[in-house]
Amino acid sequence: MSTTGTEYLNEVAASDYEWGFVTDIEADTVPKGLSEDVIRLISSKKAEPEWLLDWRLKSYAHFEKMLAEKGFPTWAHLDYPEVDFQNVSYYSAPNSKPKYESLDEVDPKLLDTFERLGIPISEQKMLAGVAVDVVMDSVSVATTFKDELAKQGVIFCSFGEAVEKHPDLVRKYMGSVVPNTDNLFAALNSAVFTDGSFAYIPKGVRCPMELSTYFRINAAGTGQFERTLIVAEDDSYVSYLEGCTAPRRDENQLHAAVVEIVAKRGAEVKYSTVQNWYPGDAEGKGGVYNFVTKRGICEGDDSKISWTQLETGSAITWKYPSVILKGDRSVGEFYSVAFTKGKQQADTGTKMIHLGKDTSSTIISKGISAGNSQNAYRGLVKINPKASGARNFSQCDSMLLGDRCGAHTFPYLEIAHPNAKVEHEATTSKVGEDQIFYCKQRGISEQDAIKLIVNGFCKEILAKLPMEFAVEAQKLLAIELEGSVG
Amino acid sequence: MSDRNSIESRLLQEWESRAGSAMNGRLHDSRAEAIKRFRDAGIPALRSEAWKYTPIRRILDRMPTLDIDPEGINTDGLDLGASTIEGLDAYRVVLVDGRFQADLSDVTGLPKGARILDLRESSSDEDVVRHLDGTGTEARDAFAELNSAFVQDGVAILVDAGVIVPRPILIQQIVTAQKPSLVQPRLLGVFGRNSQARLVEVCSTAGQAEVLTNAFSEFHTATGAVIDHVRLIDEHAGAVHINNLRSYQEGGSNFSTNVITVSAGTVRNQSYFLPDGEHCETHLSGFYLAQDGAHIDNHTLVDHAKPECYSNELFKGILENKSVGVFNGKVLVRQDAQKINAYQSNKSVVLDDTSRMYSKPELEIYADDVRCSHGATTGELDKDALFYLQARGIRQDAARLMLLEAFASDVLDRIKEEPVRAHVDQLIRSRLSRN
Repeated sequence: MSTTGTEYLNEVAASDYEWGFVTDIEADTVPKGLSEDVIRLISSKKAEPEWLLDWRLKSYAHFEKMLAEKGFPTWAHLDYPEVDFQNVSYYSAPNSKPKYESLDEVDPKLLDTFERLGIPISEQKMLAGVAVDVVMDSVSVATTFKDELAKQGVIFCSFGEAVEKHPDLVRKYMGSVVPNTDNLFAALNSAVFTDGSFAYIPKGVRCPMELSTYFRINAAGTGQFERTLIVAEDDSYVSYLEGCTAPRRDENQLHAAVVEIVAKRGAEVKYSTVQNWYPGDAEGKGGVYNFVTKRGICEGDDSKISWTQLETGSAITWKYPSVILKGDRSVGEFYSVAFTKGKQQADTGTKMIHLGKDTSSTIISKGISAGNSQNAYRGLVKINPKASGARNFSQCDSMLLGDRCGAHTFPYLEIAHPNAKVEHEATTSKVGEDQIFYCKQRGISEQDAIKLIVNGFCKEILAKLPMEFAVEAQKLLAIELEGSVG
Repeated sequence: MSDRNSIESRLLQEWESRAGSAMNGRLHDSRAEAIKRFRDAGIPALRSEAWKYTPIRRILDRMPTLDIDPEGINTDGLDLGASTIEGLDAYRVVLVDGRFQADLSDVTGLPKGARILDLRESSSDEDVVRHLDGTGTEARDAFAELNSAFVQDGVAILVDAGVIVPRPILIQQIVTAQKPSLVQPRLLGVFGRNSQARLVEVCSTAGQAEVLTNAFSEFHTATGAVIDHVRLIDEHAGAVHINNLRSYQEGGSNFSTNVITVSAGTVRNQSYFLPDGEHCETHLSGFYLAQDGAHIDNHTLVDHAKPECYSNELFKGILENKSVGVFNGKVLVRQDAQKINAYQSNKSVVLDDTSRMYSKPELEIYADDVRCSHGATTGELDKDALFYLQARGIRQDAARLMLLEAFASDVLDRIKEEPVRAHVDQLIRSRLSRN
């Protein structure tokens, strides 16, 4: 590759995080540290019922036990210091009135933050028809379109509100997909989660709009522990969007979220994510630790869960959105683009657990590494002995932009049924010189050519995102690639 | 290791009791180092990632009374038939219970510059000293260390620069032990510049006692040398076979290996390849037929440390009746090892719902100008193909056999020695059509 290309890639790899600014809002932060008292404090601040506090304390006990017995998990292809769980603040809520009737009451500074992120709630309300449950740090501060959803019987609210108003549903489904004993970070989340989103789609309802939350970490040294629960009853449909950006910070910020999805008979849930947390500076200082447990269960026959993600941020990403295919003929999908640059490290992928008959899953993962980053795909396809007729197709392609980065593939295929058809293929290569040459011949600059080729490489994934997200995702990818170049 | 009864402590005690005796002076130091490394590494724990699907500790716990490196082997009336390959005109080396048998071996007619020696007698040979235990510090493994720690004899194949060994070298490894034993065959191959050699290893068991074979083979292939290696493992159900192969290649060399496993017991093939120079070619392939409770695990690492190399890996297998197949292949391309072409493929046919296949094909790439790909598929026999054949009047069992043989032929075609190919074909056919 010519010097300009190399320089360009270096710039890409070194480019700054565009959206790293700090919103100066008084935050109601609990002192650092993790103990039963902190959990009781979080619970009491949120005026939670007794059963939830019990669940938190049990989760905390599991967390302590796991940490003591197994220690900090080190199996991922990631290199970072162990997280000091006592050096994190576990609760932070924007210091405003807890609930709002309308947007006018919302702190203008907060609204401004979202403006600067390009998420004008009011506009989006009008134009996109998206109900936005905005999560600023840990407490939901605005929920829109709730009334319209309520007409259809759709419940879409903050997790806290769901605990208060729909305790039966929460009790029934919380922890049913990701048990609080699942892994260290899931246990941690279960113990200290502060808020999140809850969506319930009744039987036969096709959710009239895409549900959306924007997560944003604020307040220095604050961990954010979101918890999302989506329950789709028989024959319902919902598309859920999650997007993240976080302001610049020097300390590593811990983010350990849990997302649970339950799809009943004939239901379909589509979960899309654009993740752009602060990745740290060029030396890899700061940046978000993103340890997420996302899992859906296709509980009923003919149900479908689809994960689509664009991962461009975070210093460390540890994330495996999974589907348990329990119902017969259920379908699981995972489409992912992971872009790493600078000193970012990502170990991400999926798990497809086939239990029911004639289940099928598709995994398409595209990894792009630049700079000194490490990008790993880790995926499990498991066909149980009773999952006859199971079908899986996995494709993991990696692209390397530079000679100091790494691209890795760690697929696990565990097959226990003879008529399962499981295919996995993966390739690793760099941007083709012939492709760049072809573009240059036609008057396209080398930088534009790289953008074009990378975009083409990811196109089939980005096309899976809902419309407004797809536009944003493409823009994000272009900006990430662009860096400081015009 | 704190557990006094664990297999480690028994091995360590045994080593201590033998220290000083039965030990060759020159080997003593390296053996002492190896036992230290073995002690540090320990037998892989149940949760160990590299042994995730082969719980070796549990398997070894079922073999509590192993006789370590049994002495006093009686070769009278030993039938070599099972490990002989009909029609193969070869130099013959025989190892019984891991020990070199000069009187059963026949290496007459070797060209000048090629030597096949007992490791015990050649331990002061310059080539042996330089290369024994010389490969793959990166790929150190408790079992290879264990072999090195107890090494007494074995086979050294030394081929000087420019020498072409005209006939294949057949290495017959037979385990005759009548009581539970640990046997540790050792093989060292040192191939000089532009030399050529073909090796055929056949591992079999004569007795029915529980045996743990812990084999360790090392190959050093110098620039321009072309080496072809086939290993056939066919042992009884009570046998556990751990096979460490380490291949070191200088630039411009060509090394091929083909591991055919049809054992009824537990087999772990660990192969580590280090093409440590430009323009190396590495071909590795394997076939596994796991039937009736067999457990066959193929574990490979191709460590591309230098640029401009080519590697091609193909492992295929058939599983039936409560069997387990494991494939864990890794292609590692190090930083600055540009222009690597590395391919890896694993295909398995699972014939019934009592068998399991675990496949983990990995790529770990740190250089950008490379072409690496891997693929893995697992499935049943193609029903359409079966129907097609049956529609043409071929009986179902014959059609099934035909398809399975066709499936295996990709790998078996890579066997260059025709008699070996015919022997393996026949073996697989008889095993498959037995039901």
